[in-house]
Amino acid sequence: MRVSRRAETEPGRAPLEAPPGAWGRPIGYAVSAGLVALVTVLGVAVHSFGNLANLALLYLIPVMAAATFYGLRTGLFTGLLSSLAYNFFFLPPLHSLTVQDPENILTVLVLLGVAVVTSQLAARVRLQADLAQRSSGHNAALAGFARTLAGLSTVEEVGEALCAEVASRFGVQALLLVPGGEGPSIAAGQKEHALGPIEIAAADWALAHAQAAGRGSDVVAASEWLFQPLVAGGRVLAALAIAADDGGIPVRADQRPLLAGFIDQAALSLGRINLVAELANVAQLKERDRLRAALLSSVSHDLRTPLTTILSVADQIKATRCEGLDPALADGLVAEAERLNRFVANLLGMARVEAGALRLQREAVDLTDAVAAAVHDLRNRLDAHPVRLDVPIDLPLVRADPQLLHHVLINLLDNAGKYSDPGGAITIRGRRGPDDVVLAVEDEGPGLAKGREADIFETFARLEGSDRKGGTGLGLAIVKGFAEAMGMSAAAANRADGKGATFSLAFPEALIVHAAADAAT
Amino acid sequence: MSLAYKILVVDDEPQIRRLLRNTLERADYEVVPAADAREAMRLLGFEKPDAVLLDLGLPDRDGLELIPLIKAQSNATLIIVSAREATAEKVAALDLGADDYVTKPFDTDELLARLRTALRRRVQASAESQVVNAWDVEIDLVNRLVRKGGEEVHLTPKEYAFLAELARHPGRVFTHKQLLGAVWGAVFEQNIEYVRIVVRNLRQKLEADPSSPRLIVNELGVGYRLKGADS
Repeated sequence: MRVSRRAETEPGRAPLEAPPGAWGRPIGYAVSAGLVALVTVLGVAVHSFGNLANLALLYLIPVMAAATFYGLRTGLFTGLLSSLAYNFFFLPPLHSLTVQDPENILTVLVLLGVAVVTSQLAARVRLQADLAQRSSGHNAALAGFARTLAGLSTVEEVGEALCAEVASRFGVQALLLVPGGEGPSIAAGQKEHALGPIEIAAADWALAHAQAAGRGSDVVAASEWLFQPLVAGGRVLAALAIAADDGGIPVRADQRPLLAGFIDQAALSLGRINLVAELANVAQLKERDRLRAALLSSVSHDLRTPLTTILSVADQIKATRCEGLDPALADGLVAEAERLNRFVANLLGMARVEAGALRLQREAVDLTDAVAAAVHDLRNRLDAHPVRLDVPIDLPLVRADPQLLHHVLINLLDNAGKYSDPGGAITIRGRRGPDDVVLAVEDEGPGLAKGREADIFETFARLEGSDRKGGTGLGLAIVKGFAEAMGMSAAAANRADGKGATFSLAFPEALIVHAAADAAT
Repeated sequence: MSLAYKILVVDDEPQIRRLLRNTLERADYEVVPAADAREAMRLLGFEKPDAVLLDLGLPDRDGLELIPLIKAQSNATLIIVSAREATAEKVAALDLGADDYVTKPFDTDELLARLRTALRRRVQASAESQVVNAWDVEIDLVNRLVRKGGEEVHLTPKEYAFLAELARHPGRVFTHKQLLGAVWGAVFEQNIEYVRIVVRNLRQKLEADPSSPRLIVNELGVGYRLKGADS
């Protein structure tokens, strides 16, 4: 475990420290005085060759130099010193500080003025240079941190990097907290550190509200730690906890932008790691779905292949009327083989529902087509029952997966056939309700147990006292499963006229297709 | 026997090959079996079959890939016989050029009827029928007239175009996409409800009982075919 604390300042950070005091450094005064002396000597030398009126201009050099390099006060001092020297050595009466000509007072004032203006300009330039240097220092630090983060691939690594960086830059203790089911937990930093209830409350607040909380913020300031949230993509991924060794406010106001920079970088990095993890998860789910679909399709193929042979040969036996074979047995062979086929289809369908592997391919379906196809496929099964169709030709189109709807209708018809006595009619009725389209299959059978109508759809539930009818009840479970997958609802009730049961499918308004009638013109 | 149609049966299951061979030979077809894609392609060039019954789940190659290859090498009628019941597979096979699609387990009579229709279409392909009769409906493709029981029926242009498209190949299944493309244009290939509306109108005008149609018959999730023209 790395101790996330470093008290000493890092080399190279000196320029970031506060500038020297307002009086400037003593060396400045010495250098300025030397320059004034030099100029005076030079002036005396030049003066001896002839009377030069503008000797005063020479003194601008030390004044500007001092103001530029050493600040306002050193500049003023140099200006004053220059005026005295000029007065003493060059203005009559020579070698005295008396000023005779008022014009020369002006010279003194000009030298002082130059000192003031120059020092102000220089100070401003210096300030800007300082700022630039500081911000380039920040940028370099952030860029270095970003480079470090780019190579990391777990939340813990990013947390450790952030804690180490913040601890060393600001001389504080640092922890990374991640939200969890049982409150925030420490993901990086000193993991053995125990946070008190106030700290936990502040951390919770920071994680929940995506705002800073704790010491130095507006919220839960009693907490010794300051909690800063790490937000990426609108989600709070973690919180950085920092505390000063002396229990004071952990970061100065002027350090906050840099701290925010580190936090943003780390948050982006955590966001990236989360995204990669989610993508991997999606890929895994997809792969699992693909395997499941492949397995179901393979099982389906393996079951259907022998069934194909059995069904076809049974058909041929029935058609050729083999000698010595009771025709009723041949009929039974075909009927049973077809029943087995429906059963296999239902088992596979149920496996698809249970595995969540239903792939819906919805399209606008004409219920006339759906009913006609189901009746056609079950024509052998229902040959003992008159089938009545009452589906209005102008019933609205509905959105459904035609294949699944077909299975639903097959099972409803099969069920109606199972529970109708021979000769009992099966009626398929379609109607437009106030906010839905309803397709109902009515049988003429014993009806359903009172009060238990809904139970009929549960897997393997069966009508009480009708064991003789056989079947597993899987068919009705398929009806419900497929119908609900398509957004329809299935219901069972006894017929109003008491003649039997009615099973209905309701297509809600959302599934009704309002087609443009002009398509046909 | 030498005049019999030659059928190439491609299926990796020996029982299915035997079953199809037996069924087809009893219906007076000559059968050439193949167990995989490689053998099928070899026999296709060598035996020059009139029709191919193709299973999609072959051991060495997916049957869907084989469809364009077979279509490119031969003008044999191509019927898919597969346990894959996903409508997407059927539509893909038909759009790739298969003439029909039969799902296993199949009804033997249904399979033979489809094969018969497809083979007859192949013979007639050169001399396209001018007038198609199905049930009591007469579709005159030259004069663009439709009669039911001898009485002329008025159809809108879209209704006529749709019916004529089906009537050009009676018995053949047309996918929704093919019908939409032919009648409304490729832009409308997704608007299946257009097809439904037109079919509804046509059934009301032409079917004996519009609620149990026998003329324009729907293939679940796939498309439509015109029935009743083969008797």
